[in-house]
Amino acid sequence: MPDLDRRTWIKLTGLAGAALASKPGVGVASPPIARLAELKPGRPVPFSYPDAASPCWLMRLGAPTAGGIGPDGDVVAYSALCTHQGCPVAVEDGRFICPCHYSQFDPARGGQCYQGVASTPLPRVQLEVRDGAIVATGMDGLVWGRVDDGPLGGGR
Amino acid sequence: MTRRVDHLPLPPPDARVDQTVCQYCTTGCGYTVYTWPIGRSGGPKPAQNAFGADFTRPQPAQAGVVYTEAMHSVALQDGRAVHVAVVPAADSPINRKRDHSSRGGTQARATFAADRPTRARLTTPLLRIGDTLQPIPWDEAINLLAAVVGGVRARFGSDALTAKAFDHGGGGGGFENNFAIGRLLFDDLEMRYVAIHNRPAYNSEVWGSRDRGVHELHYTAEDARLCDTLVLWGANPYETASAFYTSHMLPNFTGETAVEKRAAFDDGEAIAPLRLVVIDPRATASLEIARRIDRARTLHLRPNPGTDYVLADAIARVVYERRWHDAGMIERRSADGTFDDYATKSLRRGTALDGVLADATRITGVPRAQIEQAAAWMAEPKPGGARRRTLTLYEKGLIWNYKNYDTIAAAVQLAVLAGNIGRPGTGCGRQGGHQEGYVRPPYPGERPPPNVDQYLIDGKGKLFWVIGTNPYRSTPRAQAYRKRIHARTQALTTALGRAGESATRRADAIVDALAEGDGLFMVVNELYLTATAADAHLVLPAAGWGEADLTSINCNSRLLRLYPAFVDPPGEAKPDWWIMARVARAMGFDGYGWKTAEDVFRAGGESFPDNRVDAVAAEALPAETYAGVTYAELRERGQQGIQTPVRRDPKTGALVGTTRRYSARFGSSDGLFHWYGSDPWPGYPPQIQKYLEGARAKAHPFWLTTGRNQFLWQTGYHDRHQPAKLDAVPLPYIELNPADAERLKLGGGDLVEVFNDEGNAAFQVRVLDSTPPGQIFALQYHPKGTANALTSAYTDPKTTIPWYKATRVGLRKLAGELPTTASLLPANRF
Repeated sequence: MPDLDRRTWIKLTGLAGAALASKPGVGVASPPIARLAELKPGRPVPFSYPDAASPCWLMRLGAPTAGGIGPDGDVVAYSALCTHQGCPVAVEDGRFICPCHYSQFDPARGGQCYQGVASTPLPRVQLEVRDGAIVATGMDGLVWGRVDDGPLGGGR
Repeated sequence: MTRRVDHLPLPPPDARVDQTVCQYCTTGCGYTVYTWPIGRSGGPKPAQNAFGADFTRPQPAQAGVVYTEAMHSVALQDGRAVHVAVVPAADSPINRKRDHSSRGGTQARATFAADRPTRARLTTPLLRIGDTLQPIPWDEAINLLAAVVGGVRARFGSDALTAKAFDHGGGGGGFENNFAIGRLLFDDLEMRYVAIHNRPAYNSEVWGSRDRGVHELHYTAEDARLCDTLVLWGANPYETASAFYTSHMLPNFTGETAVEKRAAFDDGEAIAPLRLVVIDPRATASLEIARRIDRARTLHLRPNPGTDYVLADAIARVVYERRWHDAGMIERRSADGTFDDYATKSLRRGTALDGVLADATRITGVPRAQIEQAAAWMAEPKPGGARRRTLTLYEKGLIWNYKNYDTIAAAVQLAVLAGNIGRPGTGCGRQGGHQEGYVRPPYPGERPPPNVDQYLIDGKGKLFWVIGTNPYRSTPRAQAYRKRIHARTQALTTALGRAGESATRRADAIVDALAEGDGLFMVVNELYLTATAADAHLVLPAAGWGEADLTSINCNSRLLRLYPAFVDPPGEAKPDWWIMARVARAMGFDGYGWKTAEDVFRAGGESFPDNRVDAVAAEALPAETYAGVTYAELRERGQQGIQTPVRRDPKTGALVGTTRRYSARFGSSDGLFHWYGSDPWPGYPPQIQKYLEGARAKAHPFWLTTGRNQFLWQTGYHDRHQPAKLDAVPLPYIELNPADAERLKLGGGDLVEVFNDEGNAAFQVRVLDSTPPGQIFALQYHPKGTANALTSAYTDPKTTIPWYKATRVGLRKLAGELPTTASLLPANRF
């Protein structure tokens, strides 16, 4: 997954090599994930944030949503790790579904778990548009399997 | 919106560790509680935290420590603030591999704290002084209650005392509280007008099974892993017993339990992944998940409301006709002559199969081919000739159906007919809603028991003691009921104020006032000031799960474990056993000198029949027998617990649990199965038939059925304080078929009023094809409303069990709209 994501970044941005040099972590902006103009509804983009072990999904919903960015307020991103037991969720028919125990999350409702066994919404990735490219700048909620969204092993 | 966190403190290696069990559903998942002082958190390396886990890297999916945002909070322990982490146990045989549900996963946040939403907990006794509930000390509350109970009983007799009390296990319930309540109400106060938490009388929901010799809890969770066919009848475990479904049923459906089958089955017996039969008007989540995996191994039967026993008997007739029944078992293990009665009335042996199935299809609406397929999937021998292993699990869809007694009897008889009992992978029992933990002296009333709701509505009874239940939400025809209880409690309040409320002789003044008019004194033991408690004269704050020691069993394995206290109760809150004992002692009754929860547990245990018996004789023991078990024994056993009934080996005295029941003998006094002949289909009762005729039929064009949402436990007494749950389920809702929605020009999120002669309630619309056109599903309870406003007052004359699950309604759109936080994506699409 991490290698795939890195390739995805490179393919989408052509910028990744230099950006990856800085130490990843929440509060550190990610390399560009996708060009805003090229992001299309129904075509979610996988990426990793805040580090290579934390897969996420970036998507354009096609309708405005609270906290969505871009000119139409419809661009969102979430952690791809189910908040139940950490399996990677799939994007299907405009929602996230976990293949392990079938929890489902709504990307248009802040990652709300609207059906299933998870007890928290998916963590939401904070996004910004910089020079026409979307970057991740923070994580609202704890990524599954971690006790801190900061650098791994950092503790507090 | 839900507040999120980006960091969780870790328990240090020396954190206090308690093994416990989830307080919520019947599954009884194991949880481990870590508590440690503020400022003393551990670190991410394995040696630095009590998990012994390496948090310098992410935990692996499905294998690592499960510790999520909702599993941590800060609460009080011995008067000081501590971190509390409540995480799925690593070694539970129930929720395997740290599986858990959306309910259990939030228990840390359900603990009391003055700076979180649970600050709403009751912290002192409250007395209605004048017209306002005001805090008072325990001594004053106990003295008043003892005097009023004693005064009402002396002046008006025991039948003037009424109660509605929980009898369940899990949070707030358990053997300790149930025993203390039963001893006072039944032995010392001799009360007959007592109802159980979720129904209007004191009865079993499954007399139809117990009278046959089959206690409803006789299978073990392993049977869901081993069965060839699983029948879910009016049961939706993915949403109401989640980890039972995900940890046990789902692995069987995906074929992961083949190795276990190989070990448990006979040599050469065929092994195949699970087939799933769902009998339910609704296409449930439990069905849709299986359909997503392999639709060809699923079968969905949707009987017309109330006709399930006709369907069960028709399936049984096919089994019998095809000679798939277990003739040997019927011959050896039936009570004399009873099978003939069953064969004549239930199987209708005297009528040709074609006629029986034509009648069944006409009544139930289920096509003949589906009836025959269900019979084959339940009872046709497997390739090679081995008897199929079928496990049938039923719950409220069957229990709270029309004609409760005949319906439960029909289901269990269908299973036993095909030999599906007492072997690995078989059984016919209830899934369970809550956990159990029942030990009480015998109920002093008759059978069938009186309907306490109706008794109170009729103006009878002078005192009503509500213990850990909220009938304003949960009882049938709840709107009419609560208006009446409100009026009667208000009548007493008004009467007390008429000449100025007496502070010096309050108890006497209350009893005097009750002599005139139809006033009612209401006392409520509760965690929160519920809708019911808000109308009480006296409110007693109860300690809940994690605040007082308790013990319970789950339903899927009868697994007895200890649920220890690990945080302080809010303020002056006390466990119900303590409250009952204080009142009893103040009234002068003996035998309430208990100092600890374990004292009550042991006293209850000794009230079971002698369990120093061999394994065969143990088949006749009550399902929950635990005499000889101590808290120390349970601490030692931890998450492994012990399966009741527990017997003590007559030679060694060793405690022996029971995995599975009835392999040699049934639970009846003669050890035999007592067959029963069903009533002929009588049509719908007048309470429902009135909606099917004339103008009322036009005004009430929909069937209404009800059920649960997996995020909300029961009435949501705790969950209303969990923001993520209220975001997902902000309002009571109905599921409306897309065809009906289009015809009525209703969309997802619209508000409607649902109505009939019984009452009205407002709901948010969810457009879903879970129910067929013409049927509406409503969430049964929600903090902001209850579908029971609409249910009828019908009860089965044989059991006094209501038919909560179906009535007729009309609906109209409310003008305008409300913004909603709820997702409107279809929750039944997997």
